Amino acid sequence: MIKIDNVSKMYRLGTIGSGTFKRDLNKWLRACLGKKPDPFAPPDDSNIKKNGGERYLWALRNISFDVKEGEVCGIIGRNGAGKSTLLKVLSRITRPTEGSIKGRGKISSLLEIGTGFHADLSGRENIYISGSMLGMKKAEIKKKFDEIVEFSGIEQFLDTPVKRYSSGMYVRLAFGVAAHLEPDILIVDEVLAVGDAEFQKKCMGKMKDVSQQKGRTILFVSHNLQAINNLCSRAIWLQKGTIHAIGDAQSVVNKYLGAFQKKLWKREWMNPQEAPGNEWLKIISVELIPHLPNPTEPIDIRTPLTVKFKFYNLNDQIHLSTNLVLFSLTGDCIFDVPSTGGEFKKGVIEGECTIPGKFLNDGSYYFSLYFLKDSSRSIFEYEECLHFDVEDFRENIHWYDKWVGAVRPHFPFMLRNYNVVNNGVGVLNPHHNML
Amino acid sequence: MVEEKLRWEWEINKKTSWLGVSLRELFHYKDLLFRLVRKEFLSSYQQTLLGPFWVLLQPMLTVLTSILIFHRVIGVSTQGIPPLLYYLAGICLWNLFSDIFLNTSVTFTQNVQVFNKVYFPRIIVPLSVVLLSALRFVIQLMLFFAASAYYYFAMDVAIPLSTYILAIPVIITVAGIGLGSGMLFSILTAKYRDFMGLTQIILRLMMFICPIFYPMSIVPGKLQWIIHLNPLSIQFELFRYSLLGKGQFTPDQVAYSIAITLVLVIGGLLWFNKTADRLIDVI
Repeated sequence: MIKIDNVSKMYRLGTIGSGTFKRDLNKWLRACLGKKPDPFAPPDDSNIKKNGGERYLWALRNISFDVKEGEVCGIIGRNGAGKSTLLKVLSRITRPTEGSIKGRGKISSLLEIGTGFHADLSGRENIYISGSMLGMKKAEIKKKFDEIVEFSGIEQFLDTPVKRYSSGMYVRLAFGVAAHLEPDILIVDEVLAVGDAEFQKKCMGKMKDVSQQKGRTILFVSHNLQAINNLCSRAIWLQKGTIHAIGDAQSVVNKYLGAFQKKLWKREWMNPQEAPGNEWLKIISVELIPHLPNPTEPIDIRTPLTVKFKFYNLNDQIHLSTNLVLFSLTGDCIFDVPSTGGEFKKGVIEGECTIPGKFLNDGSYYFSLYFLKDSSRSIFEYEECLHFDVEDFRENIHWYDKWVGAVRPHFPFMLRNYNVVNNGVGVLNPHHNML
Repeated sequence: MVEEKLRWEWEINKKTSWLGVSLRELFHYKDLLFRLVRKEFLSSYQQTLLGPFWVLLQPMLTVLTSILIFHRVIGVSTQGIPPLLYYLAGICLWNLFSDIFLNTSVTFTQNVQVFNKVYFPRIIVPLSVVLLSALRFVIQLMLFFAASAYYYFAMDVAIPLSTYILAIPVIITVAGIGLGSGMLFSILTAKYRDFMGLTQIILRLMMFICPIFYPMSIVPGKLQWIIHLNPLSIQFELFRYSLLGKGQFTPDQVAYSIAITLVLVIGGLLWFNKTADRLIDVI
């Protein structure tokens, strides 16, 4: 349980030099003489302020919120929004300029993995060093030692100095120690973005385990919105040091995505000089055409979509093909569809691909077009050429949470009564019900 | 309202305390303290051929050089004490001071990485330095006792066992001076890097105006006050008096040295506690 009350954090900008010493002396003298006010006291508003040649930055400004016991709370925001500063204040690394944080329970923070590792010492020593730095007792580490070693898979190298480890091993060991912390309140910065895909999956799994344990409170910063959606019950969106939105994770994440949403259905270039392309080809136009009965309606999950594009082929006798790749706004690839290939002469080539309705899930997406020569060599990649949103649509379904899955296809799927007859052999009821 | 207040176990705000964290919280971090001592000890001898033997080798080599330079070449008197014992005593005690002072003074500058990422009472770091230096000192003192035993039994040199006990307060005072001044310098170097160069100069200056390689008795009377300005000086005379039976001191000189030590230790501790949690923003 943590109560964050009106927390602000100010940083002085600029270099520290003789000016700093003079100002420190001045401040000290004033304090001694009991004079007020301090001419160097922090100013009141705006993000960056100049004050007598001094520049200040409010990294956090009047942040207030509560985190309940057992709650997993995600913090999102762009770079420089104050996420890390907030975690630093919460984990007592730096003091707030104003406000207070009250709490109950033992806090451990994981702002970096491998904190305190000594390159010259063995993996075994470093497990103990890192563990005790993160606030574990010696007995606790001893108890979990085997588990940590197994998790990181470094048995053979336990007595090798960690400087000889591969970077993957190093990261696994470092995370292994961190993953076995058992505080009441855990503060985690973007530490999951390390290692290979398989290891990241392992980390996410571990985080999920930890978050589901009873009474464990977690504050979690991540750029991975899927992770926030998955792990957190609540999310906070920080912007320029203030809370922009707070609430249930799904809705905050959606708002966050919405703010950066771009709607771009058509692009056309009249002048080949400005058109994207290279010595192989020049794009003329790309267009997304939704098959909507009424053009003012938004695209929803039922809407078939057609992508049309034209480009100028600059070479004769060339084998060309194109891949149309769909990405979700979080950067996950949804599909990659290759076109037919063929020999082409110099001139305009057009392409068209239709994505049927009732296939995509709701969300924000973008298309990229990849052009290939001889079906193998990439000659041009036109990234993020079209942006669009797909709205949700549900009929006769009493389920209101986010529909999971990268896609939401309608495959024939039926349930019917299964009748057991006397001889023990089941037969299908010819009068089956289709659901 | 009373209940509301009782529910919170901790609070973080902009106020920092002169007294720092409670002893109970400090005790909670004792495993970390010993782990840091172990880490420093192990890491300083990684990839060395002689490993921990350096703890003994370093004073031995220094003693040999001192005998050559001060005893043979310059011909400084050792007050009838075998030069080996004379220099060894001084060098052990000086190492204790310089170890603590130097390593404490870089508390913040060397640990920025860690201090930026994890919280623990910062005082743990200077404390671990003191423990490790004390450990090295004890090992070096063993060497001194071994040498004393050799001279006592084989060479028939008189060793005053009765005053040995006096060495304990001396060791504590010298460690205190190192810790107190080290903590002050750790804050100063964190704020202004100019002090980094200064620590070396101060250390060298202190070494010269301190009776480590020469007895107080050979200093001309008119200049003795300069040597006595250094609160360490009288401690070296006392140390040799307790272990070897030779040294000159007066009660007011001892009182001065202890008073300075108290000021340094208390002042250092208070200032360290008050500023430690805020320094991270300026390192």
